[in-house]
Amino acid sequence: MNILVPDSWLREYLKTDATPKQIKEYLSLCGPSVERSNFIKDETVYDIEITSNRPDAMSVMGIAREASVILPRFGIKAELQINQLTNLPINKSNKLKLHITTDSKLNPRWTSVIFDSVKIKPSPSWLTKRLELVGVRSLNNVIDITNYLMHAYGQPAHIFDYDKITNGIMKLRASKKGETLTTLDGKIHTLPGEDIVIEDGSGKLVDLCGIMGGENSAITDKTTRIILFLQTYDPVQIRKTSMALAHHTEASGLFEKGLDPELVMPVFLEGIQLIQKLASGNIASSIIDIYPHPFIASTVVVSRTKIDSYIGTHLETKEIKEILTNLGCTTTVDNTKVAVQPPSYRQDIAIDVDIIEELARISGYHTIKDKLPDSEPPAIFEDPILGWEQKLKNKLCDWGYTETYTYSMISKELLDTFNINNQEVYEITNPISTDWVYMRPTLLPSMLLAVKQNMPYENDLKLFELSMIYAYRENNLPQEQSTLIIAVSGSRYGKLKGIAEAIFSLFGISFPTITDPATDYYQQGRSLRLGNFGQLGEIDGALLSKLGINKPITILELSVDQLVKHARLKKQYTPIPKNPASYEDLAFVVSDKTYVAPMMASLKTIDPLITDVSLFDSFNTIRTFHITYQSDTKNLTAEDISKVREKIIKHMKKEFNATLKTV
Amino acid sequence: MKKIIRKEEPIAKEQLIRLLLTLQEDATTAIGKSAEPIDQLRLTWLGKESEFGRLASYMKTIPQEDKQQIGAVLNGVKRAIEQTLSSQLTVNSSQKTQHEDWFDTTIPGDLPPQGHLHIVTQAIEEITTIFNKIGFTRVRHPEVDSDYYAFEALNMPLNHPARDEWETFFIDSQKIQVKNNILSKLVLTPHTSNGQVREMEKGKLPIRMINIAKCYRRQSDISHVPMFHQFEGMYIDKNVSIGHLKGFIDYFVKQFFGPDRKSRLRPFHFQFTEPSFEVDISCGICNGRGCRFCKEGWLELAGSGMIHPNVLKYGGIDPNNYSGFAIGWGVERTYMMKSGTQLDDIRLIYGNDIRFLKQF
Repeated sequence: MNILVPDSWLREYLKTDATPKQIKEYLSLCGPSVERSNFIKDETVYDIEITSNRPDAMSVMGIAREASVILPRFGIKAELQINQLTNLPINKSNKLKLHITTDSKLNPRWTSVIFDSVKIKPSPSWLTKRLELVGVRSLNNVIDITNYLMHAYGQPAHIFDYDKITNGIMKLRASKKGETLTTLDGKIHTLPGEDIVIEDGSGKLVDLCGIMGGENSAITDKTTRIILFLQTYDPVQIRKTSMALAHHTEASGLFEKGLDPELVMPVFLEGIQLIQKLASGNIASSIIDIYPHPFIASTVVVSRTKIDSYIGTHLETKEIKEILTNLGCTTTVDNTKVAVQPPSYRQDIAIDVDIIEELARISGYHTIKDKLPDSEPPAIFEDPILGWEQKLKNKLCDWGYTETYTYSMISKELLDTFNINNQEVYEITNPISTDWVYMRPTLLPSMLLAVKQNMPYENDLKLFELSMIYAYRENNLPQEQSTLIIAVSGSRYGKLKGIAEAIFSLFGISFPTITDPATDYYQQGRSLRLGNFGQLGEIDGALLSKLGINKPITILELSVDQLVKHARLKKQYTPIPKNPASYEDLAFVVSDKTYVAPMMASLKTIDPLITDVSLFDSFNTIRTFHITYQSDTKNLTAEDISKVREKIIKHMKKEFNATLKTV
Repeated sequence: MKKIIRKEEPIAKEQLIRLLLTLQEDATTAIGKSAEPIDQLRLTWLGKESEFGRLASYMKTIPQEDKQQIGAVLNGVKRAIEQTLSSQLTVNSSQKTQHEDWFDTTIPGDLPPQGHLHIVTQAIEEITTIFNKIGFTRVRHPEVDSDYYAFEALNMPLNHPARDEWETFFIDSQKIQVKNNILSKLVLTPHTSNGQVREMEKGKLPIRMINIAKCYRRQSDISHVPMFHQFEGMYIDKNVSIGHLKGFIDYFVKQFFGPDRKSRLRPFHFQFTEPSFEVDISCGICNGRGCRFCKEGWLELAGSGMIHPNVLKYGGIDPNNYSGFAIGWGVERTYMMKSGTQLDDIRLIYGNDIRFLKQF
């Protein structure tokens, strides 16, 4: 949460010679960050970020208190000036009465007082100017006083019109589900239940406590009798209500962080004084302060060794004592430990490391010496899949492919287009857009969209992505599977088949010899399933046209998980042959629909002298193989080779009904 | 390697052309590899007894109408082999090379294939390498994770206000029958910190981890995207101090951004670290003097802190014996700060426009 602090207002509580620049820099280094400073109406206004654990610093006074501890560390004098109003003489009266019922769990402290003969009018200029500097529009003297108190001290205050509280009865309670209430801003709320509310003598709700007052009890220009009202509330319940109603106010932002009950009375007293002064109000009731469980300081202990170990250097007793005392803690330090009683406004100091934080930040993080880890490093190994992913990406980049990163979420529409059962897909309950709703179980839809998007810019698209898919597992987290998808525009089966073969070879995995087609997303006659490793082929035309793509697209999908799992990287040395190799090209006439891969695989097994077989040419029904012969032991003669050739011819006839083509 | 020559019967036109072209290929390759004298090579490849001679002799059997075509191929092959032979001559010669012909050396070269790695991949590779050198090993933890690891075990119980800072996507858990509490609520992890307790649960100490993964938050504007990447460093050992965290940050900043850059810690608050810090890096544009790209000479880089004792306990580690730090950055932001890409809209990174992707 960010707050605005005008420099002159700050200096009302902080006597210091520090320049605004110094305040800004040193506060940021050791305390709340001054994100920027604005120069408004001849004065610096600090814009300060306060973290959620420090409600005590969410006010001009809170910042003054921090600065009074921090600035002296940089050799700049700074002293906190607090108006002690505790002894303010108060004229008690019993003219008017409030009948109060409350609940100390929901409302640990209640203070209130009634004024009469109040004059509602514009505020004096010093007050309107201050409010303006912190971004609050001046409304009237009484409302302005409550805003002033909140910004000065971080304690919200509220004013009711006394005459609108029926019979002077205020009953603070938990709301029932479905009760309704209209807040000051005119919004009608139906309450979720258990919200902190105040009911008056007529049974109507007059306050949505800690968030905003009710419209029905608000002051107007004609109001003459008011109730000044300062409380603390159960922070958890304030937050629940504020979240449920999506109604966030400056007050709820403070109350939900847990406010200091000891702060209530001094701020209340200053409020009384201001109403007397600026609205000529007269106290017309007794001062009510219901505070059944006053604050009791607790003790937090930290060992000296832990302090030194965390900070990485030895902190002297004197310094420890000085820092903590300046922060308002009652502190005792001995050689082994530090015992601290934090003040009521620092309930965030609750465990040993909280004390270390205070010591380290005030002594200055910038004074701590940099060190690299100097202990023995752990003996562990990186998950091989991470290295493989990088290697694959580098290969594809070198092969001319461009990498995409598409969103992991896809739309309902895409899910339907691809006939994916949405019961087996992880669904986002609070999507930010209908485009991003389901965690994708395949990379194909996103890749095809990326292809479509880029078709106008390039004819020869070569894209790839390596990302997770989220496979459904019953009663479990998805199985996140590392997956590679490659797309090229056009009917280019051979191109991606080649990429697939190169990748299999990279992993030392022999290419699957099965001839099953890929899933329905692919053309059944122009696609190939690669076992558990993936699939490739041309995408089905009907699917493409549903997506608005009017050109053929060829895709290769591979499971990186499976490739890594089956990788065989041992490369065994075979001696470099001493005898020269010979080769010849043999052309066979095959019958229709004869797959060539099984022929090649089979050729290699016919005789040990056949050391390599490649497809030299494929033309109509003729397959010409380039066959290499080599022996470990001798120079092959024409006769040796002729014998093997005869075997080949017989084998091809028998296994594939292929006959040698003679020229 | 020697080609085996078989005696063949009369030949079809197509076959003859194919054989001739193969021969050309074979001859030019073989000549290139050979150290034999040129005359010998010419005899081997173009002589009467050569394969070329044999194929040329088929000319007689070719029907009249095809003779012209075959003749042209024959001549082409012969010319190619001759050319290879003569280039061989030049190379083998002891004479200093002299060219008569003018040659345009400014002609554009034949480029190798030009692919492009996404900038996120480039950044991750660089980051991983930098941290590997000081013994931090890369890991990856789930993107879809239980509320337990994303929040609860990080000292953020249900309804804790600190959760508001993460604009979290929730996963419909009705399809997932509750078996154990840990899986009862699923989220898209809004930060890589979900890996902290998961890493501790592996049960090995010390830990030096770099976790890099996709994260998700409900946000989309010029500086936010719903899906992004974070990297998270974690070091747990005996006597890990704030000084170690500072050293770790400084090491990274100097390696990644350059030796002139400085870093600093500012107090902050996170539920899962105590103390907590924001990390700033000196602005590379104004060198820390202050400009419109930075805040008074500094840029926010990361969130970090000493791991909260409760988080260590969730991970089964005794906070009285061990301490540690954790630090998390956004990959995209870090890359953009370094590269000077002047990217003014982070959504471009995930827009997948090839005209963008090809720039990197």
